[in-house]
Amino acid sequence: MRTILAVTMKDLRLHARDARFLATLALFSASLVLILSVAFGPIFGDPAKEASATLWGALFFAGVLGLTRALDLESESGGGDALRLTGADPYALYLGKTIANFLLVSADFLILLPIVSIFFDVGNLRVLPGVLGVAALGLVGYAAWGTLFAALARGIRARELLLSVVLFPSLVPLWIGAVKLTNALWGDGTIDPVRDWIKVLAVMDVLGLALAAFLYELIQEATE
Amino acid sequence: MNPTIPRWWSGLGKALWAAALALVAISFWMASRAPIEVQMGPVQKIVYVHVPSAIATLIAFGVTFAASIAYLATKDWRWDGLAASSCEIGMVFATVVMITGPLWARSAWNTWWTWEPRLTTFLILWILYAGYHVVRASLRSESRRTISSVMGIVFFVNLPLVWKSIEWWRGSLHPKNVTMVPEMRVTLLVGMAAWMIFYAAALLQRLRLEWHTEARAFSDTAAPAPSEGRAQP
Repeated sequence: MRTILAVTMKDLRLHARDARFLATLALFSASLVLILSVAFGPIFGDPAKEASATLWGALFFAGVLGLTRALDLESESGGGDALRLTGADPYALYLGKTIANFLLVSADFLILLPIVSIFFDVGNLRVLPGVLGVAALGLVGYAAWGTLFAALARGIRARELLLSVVLFPSLVPLWIGAVKLTNALWGDGTIDPVRDWIKVLAVMDVLGLALAAFLYELIQEATE
Repeated sequence: MNPTIPRWWSGLGKALWAAALALVAISFWMASRAPIEVQMGPVQKIVYVHVPSAIATLIAFGVTFAASIAYLATKDWRWDGLAASSCEIGMVFATVVMITGPLWARSAWNTWWTWEPRLTTFLILWILYAGYHVVRASLRSESRRTISSVMGIVFFVNLPLVWKSIEWWRGSLHPKNVTMVPEMRVTLLVGMAAWMIFYAAALLQRLRLEWHTEARAFSDTAAPAPSEGRAQP
């Protein structure tokens, strides 16, 4: 537990030291929202649907920047090798990184949520807890799979490109689920018609975390 | 260990190719003679290529999954060779499915493409395994085998999704159960047998190439290093 917390804090401290990176991440995701809202607008056909697709699309694309950032900084400073030399459990290292990535994309989500709500005129305080619950489920899966694939892509040239090639198709069930649930909450005020998608999100979360338990150490060894 | 191809390999390969080509020819002939479906007409005969190719795709990627696990457990390069070879052939079958599917859809559903569950999940599968080859090709180091094996395992998660998509999601245009007259069913079964033997023959051929590549790499590393400072011709 202490290792997980230490790795999380280390990664968050690395991000916090680089204000330029955080600003870039926020601006990039806000730009994506702007572009998509212009593409869908100015008169929206189905604001709830278009807003949820825009929110999750922007989040997933911008999140890639965050996934590779901590690993890049580690590679530059030799921090990754130092972590391995501590003899810490590789899965604890993975969980620490996953939590840090989850917090980073969650922060991005909290920035994007009001922007999307204003641009598309959707959402209200009554459905906000539901939307936050969906975000938690969706972003845990995103962080779990994203951290695993980011580690996989570490030893590869043009890793952002390759990360996109393998990460986004893997995350499609997660993306569809998050969009459908958010759309239902913003459109109908209830998730009852699409409740099954909660199971899909939960299965994706568990699957990502479970696969990493078996594979992360191997990935770490292979990309040393 | 110097990788050498077993003697029986070539003979088995030739026998499989002969059987595959004969069975494929027979399955095409049977498809041409099979009864014409009332609603769709001759276009329905695409099913004799489409369905066997889809099943061959799932089996090929299943072999990639199993061989990837075996490689990580044993670190024997032959398992990695089997995984990569099967994945390549699986991609060919998957591409056949992606081409024949829209041809069918145009006639049956009046559209080349629709975002129904099985089409969507199969497209994701195709992109993922294309990604497998892109990533594998971009790796030159020893880590290639391990990373490829990890991908072979992780991407397999999507296979049950493709298989079960028509049950799990509403709005699927793919039928859950199909009733066929006996002649049609036999033609489909022969088609499946033909494409499976074709897969086995192609796999053996591709593994042979993998074997030669490994033997070449072995002889390169075993050869004495050229002496330094020697003038180049």
